[in-house]
Amino acid sequence: MSLQYKYNPEIPEVFRCRVPLPGTYQAYLLNGHLRDNLKIEDKLELKAEEVAGFNLSVYSKSEIADTLQVISVRDSGDVSDLRFANTLSFGEGSESYILLCTHTLSMDEFRTESDLDINLSEGSRVNIVIMQNEHNGSSHKMNFNIKQAKDSYLRMNIISLHGARLENHVSATLEGEGAVCELNGLYLVDGKQEITTSVNMLHLVPHCHSSQLFKGILDDESKAVFSGLINVARDAQKTEAYQANHNLLLSRKAKVYAQPQLEIYADDVKCSHGATSGRLDELALFYMRSRGIGLHEAKLLQQLAFVYDVLEKINNETLRIRLQELVESRLRGEFGQCTNCSMNCC
Amino acid sequence: MLEIKGLRASVEGKEILKGIDFSVKAGEVHAIMGPNGSGKSTLSAVLAGRDHFNVTAGEVKYLDDNLLELAPEERAHKGIFLGFQYPVEIPGVSNVNFMKTAINEKRKFENLPPLTAAEFLKMMREKMAVVEMDSSFSSRGVNVGFSGGEKKRNEIFQMAMLDPKLAILDETDSGLDVDALRIVASGVNKLKTPDNAFIIITHYQRLLDYIVPDIVHVLYDGRIIKTAGKELALEVETRGYDWLING
Repeated sequence: MSLQYKYNPEIPEVFRCRVPLPGTYQAYLLNGHLRDNLKIEDKLELKAEEVAGFNLSVYSKSEIADTLQVISVRDSGDVSDLRFANTLSFGEGSESYILLCTHTLSMDEFRTESDLDINLSEGSRVNIVIMQNEHNGSSHKMNFNIKQAKDSYLRMNIISLHGARLENHVSATLEGEGAVCELNGLYLVDGKQEITTSVNMLHLVPHCHSSQLFKGILDDESKAVFSGLINVARDAQKTEAYQANHNLLLSRKAKVYAQPQLEIYADDVKCSHGATSGRLDELALFYMRSRGIGLHEAKLLQQLAFVYDVLEKINNETLRIRLQELVESRLRGEFGQCTNCSMNCC
Repeated sequence: MLEIKGLRASVEGKEILKGIDFSVKAGEVHAIMGPNGSGKSTLSAVLAGRDHFNVTAGEVKYLDDNLLELAPEERAHKGIFLGFQYPVEIPGVSNVNFMKTAINEKRKFENLPPLTAAEFLKMMREKMAVVEMDSSFSSRGVNVGFSGGEKKRNEIFQMAMLDPKLAILDETDSGLDVDALRIVASGVNKLKTPDNAFIIITHYQRLLDYIVPDIVHVLYDGRIIKTAGKELALEVETRGYDWLING
């Protein structure tokens, strides 16, 4: 067998992480290849998969207060369509915080598809934040396949800022009693951006909780699709499952397609779903203007208020504040001046 | 200060204000009373510039300006304040940041530099004391999770911060218990000076026990049907509106 060539350039000086957090372990995934393996004694091991992608193991009982940040970047070193699979396994009783960012370093029209198999063992507690910030000529499809054992807890927040076509497909299976799965998402799309979110939440056993809160702001001719299913199996009594998708449309040409679905085969459950799309609230704008705040700023404040309850769910305060700043500058349109740049910095 | 002549306004083709005339001078407190649906809230919203309503006729002169030509924020910068009947909730925007933005927008208009953090906090503390507001309010989202009384106190607090020349209070007393009513009213009384004026819109005499008006107007079906001194409010309290409407 020939040696596998691994593309492994230096991270350019100009590229710096936009979400620098104190005490963060950082790892870079370049065009699907993990640059350096990472091992933290008694806690976790992050290593490259044979062909591409990474494998993360968090050991049983380890508590990792610091965030592990995996920065996935694409650059002109490999412009082919990429598909790679990653595995994240969380041992029994472990606790961890993961931040996964996707970026592009050049203006090539990248197409990426990444699978993330996420397995939570009994009693593990996991917080994952996904931050998508690729340039607006690039497409990325992410397939999340989540399996949760007894009494495990997952909170995952997907924050989508940039990318021409983004797809997030989440399939979560609650296999052990007492599992809690909380999925939150925020997408901010304009121009001709398109984002698709699908969620398949499967409750197989009793006493599990799940919630989904996905919110989006759409401007120009952008498009969002949300398709969410809650499926409660016959044996999954005492299930609590909620789903909400709310959209704020800033232009007449923006489109949203929402398809909330429930399939319930048990008879003792609490479930709800709802989807809305609306415009800026005229009365709230008037309230702010009557206090002397100009129309432009009032519109921005209302958008920030709209997305607040998703951002609020990011546990790490430093990260939450940083993401709030990114969202605010995104909504202020401060990226507008650098449309020919792949960095989406600010 | 304010001169309203023949003001007519409609919403979605339905005429609500059918010719309003009255004037307010500096130092005066006017009360506008009237049954539900008479146009009281519409009048206050039109004066503050809500574009949901169409002004179809008449003019409104405020100081040296044609008020109707100004955007709501310009009116605010020039000293008009509207206290809302139903204050709007703005999650994620703290009271302190909201007021800092509002104050500094006004100062920008007045060609003044923004307040320093220390100046601003000192001002916040002073004005919160006016309405007996707990300091924990400042970090909470604007009106989010506030009780009815807290929302109204927050309106008076905002008014104190913005120091308007003409304050219009739209049913500030609705939904208030006696204690909250006293706090709100004493806040207004503390802010009253010979240079500013108030228009108090209310259903009931109750608030006017605390804030004594100079002039009382009764609004009915989009018109002012009676204007008199403060005794008119008492008369409305005992006799209702029917004698005015049918007389």
